[in-house]
Amino acid sequence: MSAQGTVWGRVRARLRTFPERLAACGAEAAAYGRCVQASTAAGGSLTKDLCAQEFAALRSCFAAAKKTTKGC
Amino acid sequence: MLRLQVLYRPWRRPRAAGVSVQNPRRREVASGVSPPHTASSPRTLNLFDREMKRKQKNWAARQAEPMKYAYLREEVASQIADRIYDIARDFPIALDVGCGRGYIGQHLNKETVGKFIQTDIAENALKNTLEMEIPTYSVLADEEFLPFQENTFDLVVSSLSLHWVNDLPRALEQIHYVLKPDGVFIGAVFGGDTLYELRCSLQLAETEREGGFAPHVSPFTAVRDLGHLLGRAGFTTLTVDTDEIQVNYPGMFELMEDLQGMGESNCSWNRKPLLHRDTMLAAAAVYREMYKNEDGSLPATYQIYYMIGWKYHDSQSRPAERGSATMSFRELGDINRLVSQEKKSK
Repeated sequence: MSAQGTVWGRVRARLRTFPERLAACGAEAAAYGRCVQASTAAGGSLTKDLCAQEFAALRSCFAAAKKTTKGC
Repeated sequence: MLRLQVLYRPWRRPRAAGVSVQNPRRREVASGVSPPHTASSPRTLNLFDREMKRKQKNWAARQAEPMKYAYLREEVASQIADRIYDIARDFPIALDVGCGRGYIGQHLNKETVGKFIQTDIAENALKNTLEMEIPTYSVLADEEFLPFQENTFDLVVSSLSLHWVNDLPRALEQIHYVLKPDGVFIGAVFGGDTLYELRCSLQLAETEREGGFAPHVSPFTAVRDLGHLLGRAGFTTLTVDTDEIQVNYPGMFELMEDLQGMGESNCSWNRKPLLHRDTMLAAAAVYREMYKNEDGSLPATYQIYYMIGWKYHDSQSRPAERGSATMSFRELGDINRLVSQEKKSK
C-alpha cells in the first residue's frame, strides 16, 4: 500500500502536504475556527454554511499555498 | 449529538449466579458460551466490520516503523503489567486477548508468568512480536471466539482491543469461562472521553460544511456499563479505575495519521466511506482554534478504564452474613480502649 504511482499513493502524498499548507493559512483558519466556536456558545445554532465566507477565504488561501518541498 | 453511552443497556432478565451449564457438550470451548439472555435475541449487536479491522491491523503491523505508533499501547501495557505485579501471586498460564505485537508480554518475567499465550486477529502482528523472556505461544483467534477450554488460565489480560468487539458481554463471558476459579482478568479499554476533541471538531465542521454529520469516532463503553457487564459475565471483586493520557500533536492530520498507524481506523458498518477535503480542512481549523495549547500543539485525550475482575473461588473472602456483627458502630469512638482490652485479655 505504499506504492508511489498508484491512485492510493498519489492521494496519500497529496494528503501529506495538508499540514504544511494549513500552517501557512493560520489567520484564516483562526477566523473560521472562531466563527464556528461562536456558534456553539449558548443561544447560537450551527447551520450549514453559517461561516461560508470565512471558509471561502480559508479555502482560497489553502489552494494558493505552495508546498515548500518539491516533489511527491 | 451522538449519544455514545447508550450502547449497552442492562439486560432485562438477570442471570443466576455462576455459569449455568445448560448443554455441556456445546460448551467445551469458550466460543460455545451462550450470551446471557434467551437464544432468540433480537439484540445481536453487529457494529463493527471485523474483517475490515483485521485488514487494518494487518496493514498497521506491516508498517515500516511500527514502533512509531505504539506509544499509547506501550504505556497502557506497562500500566497493566504494574497491576499484574501488584497481585501477590504468580500465574503459571496466562492469556493475552488482542495482544497486538505483544506489548504486555515484554514487561513480564518468568517468576510471575510461566507460560504466555497470545491471541490476535491479525496474523502480521503475531508474526512481528516483540522480544520477551517468557515462553510464548501465538494463536490467531478473534476476541469473541476464544478456542480454549473451560478453566484453563490463571490470568487473562486484554489491552485496548475490546473496544472493537461486537458483542462485549459475550466476549467477557468467554473470558470468564476460560479462567480458572480464583483466576483474574485485567483489562484496559478506552473510555467515553477518548478523542472527544477530534469527535467534536469533526461534528462541528461537518455540520457547518455539509449540513449534518456522521459518526467518525466509535462508541465507547461507559464506566457504569462496564461494571454491569463484568458483573453479568460472572466476575466478582470488581475494580475499575480510570486514567487520562493526553498526547500533544502538531495538527489534526498528524493525529489521524497516528490513529491509522495504530490500527485504530474506523471500521463500523455505518461509517462514512468518504471524508471531504473541505470538511477535513474545516475540522483542522476548528480543532486548532477550540483546543490548542499555549505552545500551539493540539491535545488529544485518551481516557483508559482499567478493570480487574476475579472468578469466584471458595477461598475468596465474601461479605459477612447479615446479623453476624459483634460490635456496633456506636462503639467506634471507644475503639482504642476496646483494642487494648482485647490485647490484655489475650
